[in-house]
Amino acid sequence: MTSAPATQDLALSARGVRMEYLDRGTRERFVAIDSLDLDIKQGEFVTIVGPSGCGKSTFVKLVNGLLSATEGEILVRSVAKGKSDAMVFQDSALFPWYKIIDNVSYGLVCAGVSKKQAHERAMPLIKLVGLGGFENKYPYQLSGGMQQRANLARALCVDPAILLMDEPFAALDAQTREVMQAELLRIWRGAEAEGGARKTVLFITHQIEEAVFLSDRVIVMSARPGRIMEDIRIDLPRPRDLHVKRTPEFQEYQEQIWQLIASQLKAAASQFGGSTE
Amino acid sequence: MTVAAPAMTSRGPERSRRRIKIPNERLFYAVLGFVGLLVIWELASNFDLDPETPGTQGLVKRILMSAPTLIWNAGIEDFSSGVIWPHIAISLQEWFYGFIISCFLGITLGLSLGWFRRFRLATQPLVSALYSTPTIALFPLIVLIAGIGLESKVILVVLASIFAVIINTMVGVQSVSWKHLEIASSFGASQTQIVRSVVLPTTIPFILTGVRLAAGRSLVGVVVAEFQAANQGVGFYIALNGQTLNTARVFIGLLLLGGFGIFVGELVRLVENRFDAWRPSIHR
Repeated sequence: MTSAPATQDLALSARGVRMEYLDRGTRERFVAIDSLDLDIKQGEFVTIVGPSGCGKSTFVKLVNGLLSATEGEILVRSVAKGKSDAMVFQDSALFPWYKIIDNVSYGLVCAGVSKKQAHERAMPLIKLVGLGGFENKYPYQLSGGMQQRANLARALCVDPAILLMDEPFAALDAQTREVMQAELLRIWRGAEAEGGARKTVLFITHQIEEAVFLSDRVIVMSARPGRIMEDIRIDLPRPRDLHVKRTPEFQEYQEQIWQLIASQLKAAASQFGGSTE
Repeated sequence: MTVAAPAMTSRGPERSRRRIKIPNERLFYAVLGFVGLLVIWELASNFDLDPETPGTQGLVKRILMSAPTLIWNAGIEDFSSGVIWPHIAISLQEWFYGFIISCFLGITLGLSLGWFRRFRLATQPLVSALYSTPTIALFPLIVLIAGIGLESKVILVVLASIFAVIINTMVGVQSVSWKHLEIASSFGASQTQIVRSVVLPTTIPFILTGVRLAAGRSLVGVVVAEFQAANQGVGFYIALNGQTLNTARVFIGLLLLGGFGIFVGELVRLVENRFDAWRPSIHR
């Protein structure tokens, strides 16, 4: 790294990331992400928004190591204890054959912690996400919102330096979604109170309102190939509750981001002369 | 309060209390149906149209269809004299070896076929060809290779049942969700951990279905092999008594096979239920 700014308080640093896919059908290469630079400070809540297919999900998978980039590098701060990152996946990502407690402690068991100890460490997190008393239930016995709480607890359980969240609330109904957004902020603060350092969060969504409500920074990505168009700091006071969505400042942020994305959709529509989806 | 209240009938728990509570409904009705069939059978076989020739002209010809009491008497005779035990022992042996080999070999092959794509591609034509060939057609060849002893029968039993295990296990492995694999590797699971936490839990219900089918097909294999070349076994017992018009004993053989089939099926079902705790119950 040649860049001057103090790297020790960075949780993530991406430089010149490019990701190409080979379409198996047409044998054509297409670029999902192009020359992406991104720094995330420790303890920051950063959200990436962008039109469908802009490579947001691809980017978190690159950070998580599930995919490897064609070019560029992604540095994730390594931590002494726990994992450096953990992912909260989209809907129905729990293992249906495990009880909630076994799902939540999965990452610890994978890391070699004994089952008994892993269960002991999982319990406080199950309580933190509001699932106390449900630890011996199977996922099918829980509602969608509760399943996503368990999903979140599973990621928090490995005590990651960065929490990656790939559209975790996309499959929830509108009301549950709002509740879960407020809950996420509460849990974020709760985890801070318990674990000391504030968790860094990289959140992916296509919902502008969700992005503004949750984040310290919103990164707006362009249509494919995905590039960073704008990096917007959200200066709304914390702790936030759902009332903040009614304030004019909130509406302004929303409007600003919407304009950026709309311009992308229009560009894409004129380029392909068809649907923007 | 002078207005008379309209007459109301009571609904809900009050009404159902009047019904007699049957503790084990499933068993009760199963036994009821079975006993009913026996009674009808017995009555019909004793109803002779022509008293001069008993058992040949009735609604149910006793000489061909026997009767529950005749079967019962023949059963008492053969079990107390002990002539039937060697038949049961040899058939059980053939079934057990064949079934166990099918399960172990079938699960191993099914897991590898599901997991290794190239292996699957290379062996698919062979597996399909063997699967579609009626097993009995292979028996002359098996006898030439393995003789007419226990070995040839076990081989036939394995061939009759192994494909149920192989194919179900393979489909099970192939239905492992990509997403679950992704989650496991995102938490840093090792290959062994992935197999234990994702592949096996997805596959076990499929494997057990294969095993349940294999148990029944193994039994078919035993009987078919004993029809062809044997001087002992329940299949031989049925064939022999059929040829000598001893229908009561044919039914004894059938009852033994049927009872054993149900017993093993229920056994596998118990195991299946144990692994099914995480599924929403549909039929329990």
